[in-house]
Amino acid sequence: MTEKTILLVDDSRVARMMTGAAIVRLRPSWRVVEAGNGEDALIAAAAARPDYVLMDVNMPGIGGMAAAEHLRRDFPDAAISLLTANIQDPIRYHAERIGVGFLIKPLREDDLARFLDSRQGES
Amino acid sequence: MTTIIGEIEHDAVTEILNIAVGQAAASLSRLVEDEVTLSVPFVEFLTPEQSAARLDEATGGGLSVAVRQEFHSSFSGDILLIFPERKSLDLVRSMLADTVPLDQLTELEQDALIEVGNIILNACLGSLANQLGLMIESSLPTYVCGRGASILDSKHVDSELVMFLQVDFSVAAKGVRGYLAFVMDIVSAQSFASTVSAYVARVVAG
Repeated sequence: MTEKTILLVDDSRVARMMTGAAIVRLRPSWRVVEAGNGEDALIAAAAARPDYVLMDVNMPGIGGMAAAEHLRRDFPDAAISLLTANIQDPIRYHAERIGVGFLIKPLREDDLARFLDSRQGES
Repeated sequence: MTTIIGEIEHDAVTEILNIAVGQAAASLSRLVEDEVTLSVPFVEFLTPEQSAARLDEATGGGLSVAVRQEFHSSFSGDILLIFPERKSLDLVRSMLADTVPLDQLTELEQDALIEVGNIILNACLGSLANQLGLMIESSLPTYVCGRGASILDSKHVDSELVMFLQVDFSVAAKGVRGYLAFVMDIVSAQSFASTVSAYVARVVAG
C-alpha cells in the first residue's frame, strides 16, 4: 500500500494520542502529522500536504469547521472528516454542506478503517 | 423554586435526559470498551446549596472533580459532569489502558478527564438539542476540582437552581458513579421549562 500522510487535528493531547494509536495500528507505515488547533492545522497542511485529515470541531481559535472548510478548498483531493463529540444535527448538516465527512467521538476502529479506505485520498 | 416545572414537564425532562444520558453512556462504553450500565437518572431541581450538600455526601466530604462547559441556547448556564476524585483515576485507567504507559497516566489524568467530559457532555447536550429541536452552543471544557460548593460555583445562590441527575456510570467491573448538574439562573430555567412544555405539546399533538 502506498504510504500516505494523515493530519490529525485536536486540541486535546489525549484525543490525539488515542486517535494516533488507532491509526498506527491500522496503517503502521503512514506518516501521522499532528496539530493542536485550526490555525496550526493550516500551517501543517501547507507543509505536509496531507492525503487524509481528521479534524476536531470545538477548538480554540478559528475552530475545526472553518479550518476544514479552508482545507477542503486547498486540498480538493484529500479525504477530510470532522471527528467530534458534538453530535448535533446542524453540525452534521454543515459538514455535508462543505463536503467533509462526519465521524463521532469516541472513534470506532471500524469507522476509522472505513475512512482510511476511502478513495478520495487517492484520486 | 422546585415548582418551576409542572408534573408532566418533569416527566418529559426525565425522559429526554434518559435518552441523552443513554447516548452519553453509549459513548463512554465505546471509550472504555466495556459495557456501561446506568441507573435511570433521577432528575431533581435543587438549590445550589442542596446540590453541593449532595455531592459532599457522596464523596464522604472528600473532593470531587468535574468537567464544566458553558452552554447557550434559548436557555443558558453551565453543565457539569462530576465524579468523586478517588474514582476518577479508575475511569482514566479503563479508558487509556491500551494507549498510555501506566507511569504517564497520572500526568495525563486531567487531560484525559477533560476529554471524557467533553465526549459525555456533548453527547448529552447534543441529544437534548436534537430532541428539543434546538441548537445549543457550548464553550470548551474546563477541569475543576474541589468540594461541592466550589465545583458548582454558583454565582447567585438565591436566584439559581440546579437540575441535578445522579448517573450510575457503572462500568461492568468497576463502579464509577457520576453526577450531571445543569446550573441555570431562574430566567433560563423558566425558558427551559417552556421549551419542554412546547415539546410536550408537539409530542401530544403527534
